[in-house]
Amino acid sequence: MTTPCSSAVAPNTQKSALLVASGGDVDKLLTEVLTSEGWGIQHVADNQHVLELARANPFDLIITGRETRVREDVELLRKIRSARPHLRLIILTDKFTPGDVISAMREGAFSYFSAPFNASELTDMVRAAMAEPCWDDGIEVLSGTPQWFTLTARCDLATANRLVQFLHGVRDPSIPEDDKDHIIFAFKEILINAMEHGGHFDPSQHVEISFIRARRAIACRVKDPGKGFSLEELRHAAANSSPDDMFSHARVRDERGMRPGGFGILLAKKLVDELIYNEKGNEVVLVKYLHPPESPTQ
Amino acid sequence: MALQISIRESADVTILDLRGRSTLDDGESESLSKQLQSLITDGVRKLLLNLEHLTQVDSSGLSVIIATYVSLKRRDGDLKLLRPSGRVLDVFTVFRLTNAIPSFEDEAEALASFRSRSYSATP
Repeated sequence: MTTPCSSAVAPNTQKSALLVASGGDVDKLLTEVLTSEGWGIQHVADNQHVLELARANPFDLIITGRETRVREDVELLRKIRSARPHLRLIILTDKFTPGDVISAMREGAFSYFSAPFNASELTDMVRAAMAEPCWDDGIEVLSGTPQWFTLTARCDLATANRLVQFLHGVRDPSIPEDDKDHIIFAFKEILINAMEHGGHFDPSQHVEISFIRARRAIACRVKDPGKGFSLEELRHAAANSSPDDMFSHARVRDERGMRPGGFGILLAKKLVDELIYNEKGNEVVLVKYLHPPESPTQ
Repeated sequence: MALQISIRESADVTILDLRGRSTLDDGESESLSKQLQSLITDGVRKLLLNLEHLTQVDSSGLSVIIATYVSLKRRDGDLKLLRPSGRVLDVFTVFRLTNAIPSFEDEAEALASFRSRSYSATP
């Protein structure tokens, strides 16, 4: 696991970011977000001088330029983090390969956006990076190839959101975008359930996750640190509502004074083809079968 | 974009214009839930949720909408939806939610339906 921060940044110290040029709207957007929060910004044209600048200046955040290959960004990150282990670095890129996301996670990037990316999601992630008073990673890659990778994730929402963004950064033309969106959506629901109910959002606890890319399917396994549960006993979960009355669990929750909820498992079930729990109930596998894109009519 | 909630009224119907996302991420669904519960506690019984600019909803957001619907029904009130679209409509469709909670494309029609009490879902 990564070493926790030893101390928080003094609240009155102005924070600073180094922005590598991406050009156009992205630079403007990032500058607006950072300055609106009172951050100091230094701009640089490319990666060439970033290492030198980062060694000389205690930047809190670096955002790479989208023109650089991820491999170069990751190498840069490795060098910077050997000197400044808690620096947050967000990778933006137009030039990537399928294994790049794993490399970025392995080296401790804060986040990863491969083009085309959503401006609103980028600004949300920049704000998340800026909001962390003292950051250490929370995601540890235990083993990784583009076909099968395993990692652990700390039980907190910020780590869940970072992990989900890394998955959105995976670009594989053989996976239809809708299928990819559905499995990530389902995974996020299951991950948050695991972190909340298995790990009680305790940052000292971790969830173990594996992704497997088979030729015609994607599988994902999530194991939480909890004692497990029996789905049949959860009257307050939507998965146990009658097919004719999808709100029966909501009435149970209302009567018991419970907060709104209970849809996570059912939503995940509807988004993937299979959702299988182990006997104890602390481990679940999601499977999504892939339907190859139709070939053009001959 | 975090959730922004604006509240307006038309006769005895309270309209909430939602902009952004209703997810667990930064407590957006929780803030929506508190806002809705506060309105119900204050006596509001006819609620119209304008979802035109709601970009994303997860199980927490879905749960808040359904819990509000159930809570209002128990109090002889009503909840209706206006213009769900995109990813939000996708999630509602998965659950056939618009078959259970009336959904409208036109605000005037949605408001009129509160008066008639005899409406059909998703005109």
